[in-house]
Amino acid sequence: MAEPKKIIIDTDPGIDDAMAIFLALRSPEIKVIGLTTIFGNVYTTLATRNALHLLEVAGRTDIPVAEGSHVSYLKATKLRVADFVHGVDGLGNQNFPQPKSKPIEKLAAEYLVEQASLYPGEITVVALGPLTNIALAIKLDPTFIKNVGQIVLLGGAFAVNGNVNPASEANIFGDPEAADIVFTSGADILAVGLNVTHQVILTDHDRQILAESDGIFAKYLSKILEFYYSYHRDAYNMKGAYLHDPTTILAAVNPSLMTYTEGVVRVQTSGITRGLTLFFNKQKRFNEETEWCNKPTVKVAVTVDATEVVKLVMERLMY
Amino acid sequence: MDSSPVMFDCNGVSNSDVQKIIIDTDPGIDDSMAIMMAFQTPKLEILGLTTIFGNVSTKDATRNALLLCEIAGCPSVPVAEGSAEPLKGGAPEIQDFIHGSDGLGNLNLPSPKSKKVEKSAAEFLVDKVSQYPGEVSILALGPLTNLALAIKRDSSFVTKVKRVVILGGAFFALGNINPAAEANIYGDPEAADIVFTSGANIDVVGINITTQLKMSDEDLDELKQSKGRHAQFLWNSSKFYRDWHVKSDSVYGIFLHDPVCFVALIRPDLFTFKKGVVRVETQGLCVGHTLMDQGLKSWNSENPWTGYKPVSVAWTVNVDKVLNYIRSVLMMP
Repeated sequence: MAEPKKIIIDTDPGIDDAMAIFLALRSPEIKVIGLTTIFGNVYTTLATRNALHLLEVAGRTDIPVAEGSHVSYLKATKLRVADFVHGVDGLGNQNFPQPKSKPIEKLAAEYLVEQASLYPGEITVVALGPLTNIALAIKLDPTFIKNVGQIVLLGGAFAVNGNVNPASEANIFGDPEAADIVFTSGADILAVGLNVTHQVILTDHDRQILAESDGIFAKYLSKILEFYYSYHRDAYNMKGAYLHDPTTILAAVNPSLMTYTEGVVRVQTSGITRGLTLFFNKQKRFNEETEWCNKPTVKVAVTVDATEVVKLVMERLMY
Repeated sequence: MDSSPVMFDCNGVSNSDVQKIIIDTDPGIDDSMAIMMAFQTPKLEILGLTTIFGNVSTKDATRNALLLCEIAGCPSVPVAEGSAEPLKGGAPEIQDFIHGSDGLGNLNLPSPKSKKVEKSAAEFLVDKVSQYPGEVSILALGPLTNLALAIKRDSSFVTKVKRVVILGGAFFALGNINPAAEANIYGDPEAADIVFTSGANIDVVGINITTQLKMSDEDLDELKQSKGRHAQFLWNSSKFYRDWHVKSDSVYGIFLHDPVCFVALIRPDLFTFKKGVVRVETQGLCVGHTLMDQGLKSWNSENPWTGYKPVSVAWTVNVDKVLNYIRSVLMMP
């Protein structure tokens, strides 16, 4: 087997982030070299605490955690966090103990820039929250977009409704200005949106199987998933939960689980559709130059082998 | 189709199963097709045409509407001129590169003999709808400025109008002005948002539906060879429009935006519709974007879509039947 891909996970844990981090640690195809934290499901301070806690649960305190921005790219401090999805602690209100470990001194953006220039072309950043840290890394070092191997991001709703409101998906809504910078940066980007992750559902039955397992991750996850499931029951009237973050990890692990289309993505930053991701495949010729002209293209996931994704998640988190 | 169609009677027919309609239009080559179809359709009483900028300026739209009524042999059908500019003001963008500088494919037609009525489009809409409450349907084929002005003028307009069938928007699909916006909505986004959230009984047909229906070069040839009452005129007029489709979309033929919307008015059974609240973005790079809440999620807090009455968004179309319907009407002697 080829040498495992080096991965940095930018994350706002978050119940499905916890699944995604555990899944990454159990995937031999990749090597998690660090976590960076961001607001989203919770505020950044809590995201850092949860990231450290999850690494302690996994016995992987060797992996560094770099704390990310506490404010949006435009320095907004009034941020939206999704505590009604993940619980006030972000992990299903389980009263976990404080972690003993500490984040590293470097900020997330600095750490991202440093690692990308240390291993040019080798690092895959998997971004599971708002894209503030990534945009700040680009601002800090314009060569970051060349040095980073790929950015696989969970974000956007391509030709479907959002999940914060009809227009907007939560991660993009969290920092639309940052998202527009990242999408138009020219980096090698693969975006996994709600149009794909809403096809990947962990059923009640799957959760039951996890609960009955003796595996450390399975036991842990089956507990915290309860809160996440009850949110899905209320919001979507469904028995099950969407696997947004784990699906995105698997897109980095094995890109052939999905199909992709390529085009320009712009993010609306004002008005009622703030946070809307608008994809243009460059096929139609418009009469006048548009805001999508002369921008680099990104890959956007369009289909997913959902059965295989759920199977991999279950296999790797069972023991 | 009825085997022995009763031809349209310009003076109106006092029959209870006659549908009263007003066409708000910016003719426009495909508008001309839709208007001629309306004149060829039995059991339809055209109370008037109201005009708007879009494919042409409002002034030219009025001239073309008068001309089309004359060509149809119905010069007595009233034409009320609409707003010259969108609600926010400023000169509108005109799509003359699509429809020719005269809006009808540069045919150098003579000026019409008839004159527009004194009333503005918004006044005309309000008056007719009040005169026949619950009976008048409006076919809106251009930017929605006149309808928004009618709503502002008389708040009972939205309850008195029977149905508003709108050609506009791109639902979960690319626009045609830019990736985000469709031309009619882009022409006056503020007006479109007022209309969509007005509470009126609205059916909207977006370009996600209309671009599924094309008249190919062969279909256009067939139209030319046919004995259709207005076939020669429409074929001549379509040439300019067809050449733009080749340039813009590599389509050898024409999209039937307005005719399809007309079919949605008289044969809604050939479409399926989905209900949802539609809002229009009025700012930023996606100005003119139509966004529908499909209602798949219970939102945990209020958002800009909350609290408005849903509209019916055309979701699927029976392509073969609609195309055959359009062809058969256009080729009707």
